[in-house]
Amino acid sequence: MSSNRILTVSRAMAEAIAQEMRTDPTVFVMGEDIGAYGGIFGATQGLLGEFGPERVRDTPISETAFIGAGVGAAMAGMRPIVELMFVDFFGVCMDAIYNLAAKNVYFSGGNCKVPMVLMTATGGGYCDAGQHSQTLHATFAHLPGMKVVAPSNAYDAKGLMISAIRDNSPTLYMFHKGLQGLAWMASPDGAAVIVPEEAYTLPLGQANVVRKGKDVTIVTLSMMVHHALAAAAALEKSGIDAEVIDLRTLVPLDRDTVFKSVAKTGRLIVVDEDYTSFGLTAEILASVVERDPSVLKAKPKRLAYPDIPIPYSRVMEQFALPNAAKIEAAVRETLNLKKAA
Amino acid sequence: MNLADIAIPQGLWDTGKTPEGVVANWFYREGSTVPAGATVAEIMVEKTNYEIAAPTAGTLHVLISKDGVVRPGSVIGRIS
Repeated sequence: MSSNRILTVSRAMAEAIAQEMRTDPTVFVMGEDIGAYGGIFGATQGLLGEFGPERVRDTPISETAFIGAGVGAAMAGMRPIVELMFVDFFGVCMDAIYNLAAKNVYFSGGNCKVPMVLMTATGGGYCDAGQHSQTLHATFAHLPGMKVVAPSNAYDAKGLMISAIRDNSPTLYMFHKGLQGLAWMASPDGAAVIVPEEAYTLPLGQANVVRKGKDVTIVTLSMMVHHALAAAAALEKSGIDAEVIDLRTLVPLDRDTVFKSVAKTGRLIVVDEDYTSFGLTAEILASVVERDPSVLKAKPKRLAYPDIPIPYSRVMEQFALPNAAKIEAAVRETLNLKKAA
Repeated sequence: MNLADIAIPQGLWDTGKTPEGVVANWFYREGSTVPAGATVAEIMVEKTNYEIAAPTAGTLHVLISKDGVVRPGSVIGRIS
């Protein structure tokens, strides 16, 4: 069943969920505005009409209650998909996430699995300030017991969603608002891509080399993949050949793909929209230098969000966000080159 | 050669309240083969999306690209 049909990320997510709901009666969806509204970032559009309110459940604004309920349902044999509207709201429901969802399989001696998907919107760049713009990748990747994915395009979004639903571990599915393909929020051209109509899975824990190169390795994920590709295209004009790795999954982390690439290029830039300190960028650096620091021909470089709450002002937020120009400059720095003429 | 316009249906939204919408997305690239009835585009009017279907099977020609402003009756593309 080949197709030349393009899907936005939001439609790819909704299609993945619908296909799993058709074949598995234990799959259902819960969250704020995921029913009649279709999810404020479109990830559940059309589901209420097809599956009805028993399986597509709008909840009150009590994340503590409905994420806790999701954990219980998962332990009782269901496969709930629960939406935490903005990842920033984790503060009110973290006990259900990291003490219940992540740990109950251990506390029960492996007897109670928690096959829940917790999907949540991440990312800024659209002036929504400090409580609606964070990515918080590392916050969740740091805590053992959960798998964590963060797709950069519609093809990966569908495959990772189906894998997450079928996986027996609790999986945090972090989707960037700016990649969803919503008309009111610009998304990069590479986010909406051709997506097969049939259901398919992608392995959890496998990075994707989205651009091959020999001079420098740029490791990133989610929205920053598109900025890295734009930087790589600009660098190509100066004869610099950058390799770009889209991690796709944070937990499990594909350290092998990163290491092999750095062993080839000798140079490493890690880009993340999450905060800099104690973050994903440092973890990637550590995974290379712990294995063999001699593969590096130059100092590795972290490029992430500064350690400040995200400002509301467009000028200030854009100043703080990583972007293609900053990635390009970081690459030139690691290659000991001056700025582009 | 058969030509069919892809037009925004009249009365799709209340133009008294909101005269214009925008092409939010095209779901096939220029020159793609599309099946009859496939959702080829979506229009957004004040955060509400409307799907636009291919009136017939054929080759898609995009006349109003993503982010272009449309009204009911606008021809946004053609199938040949």
